[in-house]
Amino acid sequence: MLAVYRRHTVIVRSGDPAEIAKELTGEDLERVAYVQVLNVQADLRPLTLWGDAIPVDLVVQHPETDLPLLYQCSQLLARHPVRITVPVVSGFSKVVKLAASLNFTVKLNVSQPEGSQIVEMSQVLEAYLHQPMVSQPIEYFHSMFLAFYRSEPLTLWAVQEEDPAYFRYIADDGIETISGRFAGAKVGHDIAHFPDRFKKELVAERGECSRCELFENCFGYFKWPKREYRCDGVKSLFQLLKDAAHQLKNDLDTFQSGRIEERS
Amino acid sequence: MNGGQFSLILLPTLACNADCDYCFENKSGCTLHLDQLPSMIHKVMDHMEVNQIEELCIYWQGGEVMTLPPEWFEQAHDIIREISAVREKRIFNYLQSNMITYSEKWNRVLSEMFGNSVGSSMDFPNLYRKLKGGYGPREYERIWTRNIMEAMNAGIHVGVIAIANEQTFDLGAEHFYSHFVDELGIRDFQINTPFPGGPVNDVKKGFPVEADRLSQFLMDLADVWMRRGFQRDVRVGPFDSLMDYFVHGNKNLLCIWRENCASDFVCIDPMGNVAQCDCWVTSYPEFRYGRIFHQGSLSDLLMKSEVRRSFQQRPGRLMQKEDCIECNYLHLCHGGCPVRTYAFYGDLFRKDPYCKLYKQLFQKIETMAMNHLRN
Repeated sequence: MLAVYRRHTVIVRSGDPAEIAKELTGEDLERVAYVQVLNVQADLRPLTLWGDAIPVDLVVQHPETDLPLLYQCSQLLARHPVRITVPVVSGFSKVVKLAASLNFTVKLNVSQPEGSQIVEMSQVLEAYLHQPMVSQPIEYFHSMFLAFYRSEPLTLWAVQEEDPAYFRYIADDGIETISGRFAGAKVGHDIAHFPDRFKKELVAERGECSRCELFENCFGYFKWPKREYRCDGVKSLFQLLKDAAHQLKNDLDTFQSGRIEERS
Repeated sequence: MNGGQFSLILLPTLACNADCDYCFENKSGCTLHLDQLPSMIHKVMDHMEVNQIEELCIYWQGGEVMTLPPEWFEQAHDIIREISAVREKRIFNYLQSNMITYSEKWNRVLSEMFGNSVGSSMDFPNLYRKLKGGYGPREYERIWTRNIMEAMNAGIHVGVIAIANEQTFDLGAEHFYSHFVDELGIRDFQINTPFPGGPVNDVKKGFPVEADRLSQFLMDLADVWMRRGFQRDVRVGPFDSLMDYFVHGNKNLLCIWRENCASDFVCIDPMGNVAQCDCWVTSYPEFRYGRIFHQGSLSDLLMKSEVRRSFQQRPGRLMQKEDCIECNYLHLCHGGCPVRTYAFYGDLFRKDPYCKLYKQLFQKIETMAMNHLRN
């Protein structure tokens, strides 16, 4: 399959680290954005002696049972930058906490979080914003925080690597789609413009999104797959990020103007 | 293993000239023969080769290392240098000695092999460190003090590990600090927590020492160090390394607070027994990984050892079994020291018995660091 995408930068996913180490060598490595290991229970030792500083994304499938395995994953950090991707399901915040403690970057794999998941997400966000033990990015919080801080346009689709203008997901049957959560779904022929089309449809529906001040960042990300999903929880998280970014900006502006006054 | 570095605690002898009450080692007179050293070092370097590791740190401990003559170390140094040159590996040597038999004849090897530095141990007051032959703590302390003074006068850096006892608490932190820094001129010392490893005796039955008093002593000592030593480059462990973490983010903490010590180092005794550290190899034979002279390769020995797998699994198991995952200082401690845990509970899969003390200490130093940054 690598040969088919010879002109593209690729993300290679596999459940077998030994296969990655064996198959990805030489020139192929130069166009690897990162490798994604779909099973943290797998023997990761082949990757500790393979390549040099190739980003590795380890996907946690079951937070409860995978939690203790993060310790053995930390061996990889000596050789590669490593990210832990965690599904937002019950108990995921423990994995995030341990991953942050072990100096991994983290990506939250989030779809349409409900009550207790929102509570856990706000605990993680609180830790990301205020706990000194978190010294590595936790996505999507980190990129969104920076976008708010810098007043730059950014959509959640891009942060979550689901903007089809830049990312495509090749399913096991070879069919291209937007991301894992779209596998098997009908997204139309023009995949690249799916988020724009989806956004327009949501606006036309005159539902929750049409009145949402965060829509330009979200682009309806949380309205897939169920459009009737209520966004109150995720909006409160966005608001916390936005407030924190503005507060930091204000603090730094105040600090800078204080220094200028001191000099004059 | 630890990126580009392999750490080996090497015990060239289990002979000892001291008879300290809280020693955890089952001592024997056993000594590593120099003709066995090349085979051991080659196996270590084979392991480094397999794991693409470039640097070897050897921590020479005993027993008491200075029961061997300095000439033994000079020859050992030559052997290791020769092998490392051929195999293109870098070696760093560190020495831990009680300094009881130190004399100026050690200066050359201390300079050439150990970078003019030695780690030693002494308490204040000294109640439990004794010499063999019935000489008590006072005589031990007299000889030790004379020898470390002589070493320091010869330009040798002496670091000291101290263990607090009940009388240390009575004397207080200010007196303790003054003794080491002002009276002895020690500018680098570390406080360790005691544990009842090895054969039981009356002193070990008193462990853990009264936790609240130990905690108060450490908090007070941290204040004294901050006031009197921090700005003057006096290093008091573990305060200095914690301060470095909270101020600069550098994580160079004691072995008891590593993510997983089983990933960071191993220990080999004179018979070639391989275990997690000196405490394990000497006190708990059932926890040895294997014997380096008897097995084809160190890599195989480590990979196949079920005991080592237990050590590797310990921090992960603690995340499920204990409350470590809820702790604000998880990133600094990871459940603490396995040998302290086992010595107290007889169970590897529990958190460190000094958990509460560690948390108080982390909180104290974090607050001190914040105050320092604000000022």
